[in-house]
Amino acid sequence: MSANLQSHAAAESDAGVIKSRKKTNALSRWTKLLLKSKTGTVGFIIVLLVCLVAAFANFLAPHDPAAINPAKMLKPPSWLEGGEKAYLLGTDNLGRDILSRIIYGSRVSLLVGVASVILAGIIGIIVGLASGYYGGWLDSILMRIVDSFLSIPNILFALVFLAVFGPSVPTLIIVLGVTNWVAYARIVRGETLSIKEREFVRAARSIGVRNVKIISRHVLPNVISSFIVISTLSIATTIILEASLSFLGLGVQPPTVSWGGILSDGRDYLATSWWLATFPGVAITITVLGIIFLGDWLRDVLDPRSQSRS
Amino acid sequence: MIKFLLKRVLEFIPVLLIISFIVFSLVFVAGNPVALMLPEDASQEDIERLTVALGLDQPFIVQYGKYMLDLVQGDFGKSFRYNTDALPLVLERLPATLELAAASMIIAIIIAIPLGVWSATRKNSSLDLLATGGAVIGKAMPNFWLGIMLILLFSVTLGWFPVSGRGTIAHLILPAITLGTGVAAEMTRLIRSSMVEILSQDYVRTAKSKGLRNFFVVYKHAFRNSLIPVVTITALQTSTLVGGALITETVFSWPGLGQLLIQAVNTRDMAIVQASVFTIAILVIFMNLLADVVYRILDPRIKYS
Amino acid sequence: MKTGTAILDVDDLHTYFRTEHGVIPSVNGVSFEVREGETLAIVGESGSGKSVTSLSIMGLIDSPGKVEKGNILFEGKNLTTLGKKDYRKLRGNEIAMIFQEPLSSLNPLFTIGNQLSESIKLHQKVDKKTARVKSIEMLRHVGIPRAEKVFSSFPHVLSGGMRQRVMIAMALSCNPKLLIADEPTTALDVTIQAQILELMKKLAKENSTAILLITHDLGVVAEMADKVVVMYAGQVVEHTDVYTLFSNPKHPYTKGLLNSTPKFHETEEVLASITGTVPTPSKMPKGCKFNPRCPFATEVCTTQEPVLREVADGHKVRCWLYEEKEDAI
Ligand SMILES: Nc1ncnc2c1ncn2[C@@H]1O[C@H](COP(=O)(O)OP(=O)(O)OP(=O)(O)O)[C@@H](O)[C@H]1O
Ligand SMILES: [Mg+2]
Repeated sequence: MSANLQSHAAAESDAGVIKSRKKTNALSRWTKLLLKSKTGTVGFIIVLLVCLVAAFANFLAPHDPAAINPAKMLKPPSWLEGGEKAYLLGTDNLGRDILSRIIYGSRVSLLVGVASVILAGIIGIIVGLASGYYGGWLDSILMRIVDSFLSIPNILFALVFLAVFGPSVPTLIIVLGVTNWVAYARIVRGETLSIKEREFVRAARSIGVRNVKIISRHVLPNVISSFIVISTLSIATTIILEASLSFLGLGVQPPTVSWGGILSDGRDYLATSWWLATFPGVAITITVLGIIFLGDWLRDVLDPRSQSRS
Repeated sequence: MIKFLLKRVLEFIPVLLIISFIVFSLVFVAGNPVALMLPEDASQEDIERLTVALGLDQPFIVQYGKYMLDLVQGDFGKSFRYNTDALPLVLERLPATLELAAASMIIAIIIAIPLGVWSATRKNSSLDLLATGGAVIGKAMPNFWLGIMLILLFSVTLGWFPVSGRGTIAHLILPAITLGTGVAAEMTRLIRSSMVEILSQDYVRTAKSKGLRNFFVVYKHAFRNSLIPVVTITALQTSTLVGGALITETVFSWPGLGQLLIQAVNTRDMAIVQASVFTIAILVIFMNLLADVVYRILDPRIKYS
Repeated sequence: MKTGTAILDVDDLHTYFRTEHGVIPSVNGVSFEVREGETLAIVGESGSGKSVTSLSIMGLIDSPGKVEKGNILFEGKNLTTLGKKDYRKLRGNEIAMIFQEPLSSLNPLFTIGNQLSESIKLHQKVDKKTARVKSIEMLRHVGIPRAEKVFSSFPHVLSGGMRQRVMIAMALSCNPKLLIADEPTTALDVTIQAQILELMKKLAKENSTAILLITHDLGVVAEMADKVVVMYAGQVVEHTDVYTLFSNPKHPYTKGLLNSTPKFHETEEVLASITGTVPTPSKMPKGCKFNPRCPFATEVCTTQEPVLREVADGHKVRCWLYEEKEDAI
């Protein structure tokens, strides 16, 4: 009996210690959580590297990505016969350094990816919250709009939009933001519906707390984790979408360097210079892979319901 | 069943209305297309005359009304590039796109079902790691790049398949693999996670306790159950599949809807763009309906209501 | 009490789960035997290893679990070394099992008839038509009205009690020699519980099927069992016949069970007279596993583990209170 009491007390003090540690060392806790997952760690490192590369492109790139050099046209990667040390991944049809172009290309990919996802998130959260919280005819209409967007492939919508407004980076950000909001709206709506029915929200409502206040106090914090998870994975798909559009010549326009654009240039030289089309694709794949890994890890950590799934 | 179908079909109407409204608004905002229709040396007067003739000087509501009237009759306007009705042009290209999409779907199913089931039944084995790893990579690769890499390897280097065009099975293989890989990757992940969940269900244990062979336990009792979420989500992916087809077609010069559409976007041939959007939307909606029907057939717990 | 030859002899069974959080010794040296036509009840709190024991006998422990040690003899055959194919021939045929949740134990996508005739076709090697006839007969036998209709119904249209009847029909369809019932009535209404138990008893008697009954409910034990095994933290702590269990329980844990409310499936509030809960595998106490909760715990209990010792004819207890003290240390 006494042993039992003691262990009880010990457990309690344990809990106390853990609690105080939690507060002081959130960072180390997250690091620990991250290191526990191999893919999560790999994803984090990749994403961090890509961000650093984009941020410090002007220091890292060995050449000016736009510098045309007729003397160095279509040089193969440096380890191949005919390659030059100065051009690690070779050069393109205008003698521009592929590595430098890929390094600079990361900027536009990340910019478009992140900015459009933020835009999509804002639209989606507003629609989802409004739809879930107010319900009724507003919900019906908004959900029909969601259905409409779901029956048009993202890329198709983007194409229509670009046909109308012409390609440019801001247009691209807007169009990808407008095509992506649906995922947020649906999840935020679902979450809002379930939260709305919980005790504390009902209580707040019954004592006459204003709707806007309830939403920002109770509903928003609860959808934040889903939001982060969708955003991460959404950035991944958006990067691919942007690259696809740029590849089709309808996205980022020269002289701005983009991975899809380099690939598109390289396609014409497939028979002779494989490196042109290969390396930008590798860059896209690795970046997207890193983001997916990071997103999957975030989902496992942030969403307790998904834990049983993995 | 008939009632259910009818109800679902009626639900499509608002969706199509909204799509028409969005597309029309975009085109309206795009401004006067007349200048594009006429030869470059057309005079200002010519432009104005045609604008009035086409009713493009009318207010938004009037134009939208007229547009909807035409739409209901299947008239999307004339393609100024081909100078014929847009819809027949689009429908003419549709079979090629459907052929590509169907072939990709078949490839995806052939890869994803065994892979997903195997990796679920051998969770955390090296085969599972390989399959899940492969699925993630398949998802991370942009499909146009995969297409180019396949061309590089199998057409340019090995010369096994033609680089582009349509006609024979050989023409179909690379584009179908290109498009199918992404779908297969997503499907494998889905089937795996669905199967993992189902395999821990009580009724699977019951099936085992009867002394059934593992094959029956997995494919009769577990797999069919795991298909229910897979069918739903795969149907939702039709739109991704069609979207992917548009790009894949460009890579392989596959003479489908995608090629036509991208040309139209480049030349701002809005009639074709609109007709394509509607055709694709209806296709996607139809696939979702089909999935709903399959879902109902698979799951006896759902009543038609 | 009936006597007969032992058809099931579980000897020093160890089943461990090797998870990423460490090894969980769910069943840790369990021994008992079940004789022909006899009903043996296993009682114990949640997590004591009852289900794992029964699944070990069925050969249905999946990775990361494994029978690490010990023998399971069924009619003299050692099941732990039995090949997969031979095991399958046994399962559903000579050993059948009923599970706790009739709601989730039937496949929602197949008709009752499909699932019932499945094992009949498999083990009795009959054609579809005969299997159908036999299935319907079996459904009638377990007291299902309108058996033909139920045969072609899907599980979701049946009530919990009906489904459990179907499960019993399924389990008994091949006249098994041993029926393992893992809390067959826990999920059912009280009135239905009695009916189901009555049915099991009746059918078992008809075919002299032995029953291994796992339960939380001492009322069920009194009703059904000939012998009782009390499990605690993966071990047998007391093993005796049902009369002795109620009239002369020895182990402090058993006494605690008897003193607490007749039903104790919710772990926490349950054991009015036993404080605390079952230790988690990672925090197993030294010595007797029950010592932190035992009102009679002494020095030796916290350092040395007692063995299961026969204290009277057919009555075994794992407790230092009944050891000759010189054996210790
Ligand atoms: N698949 C598994 N993986 C890991 N541990 C398991 C697994 N199955 C069972 N266990 C562990 O084995 C122990 C015994 O479980 P078991 O299901 O046999 O308990 P029980 O006595 O049947 O309880 P209940 O009355 O709740 O059914 C538990 O601690 C449980 O955590
Ligand atoms: Mg159990």
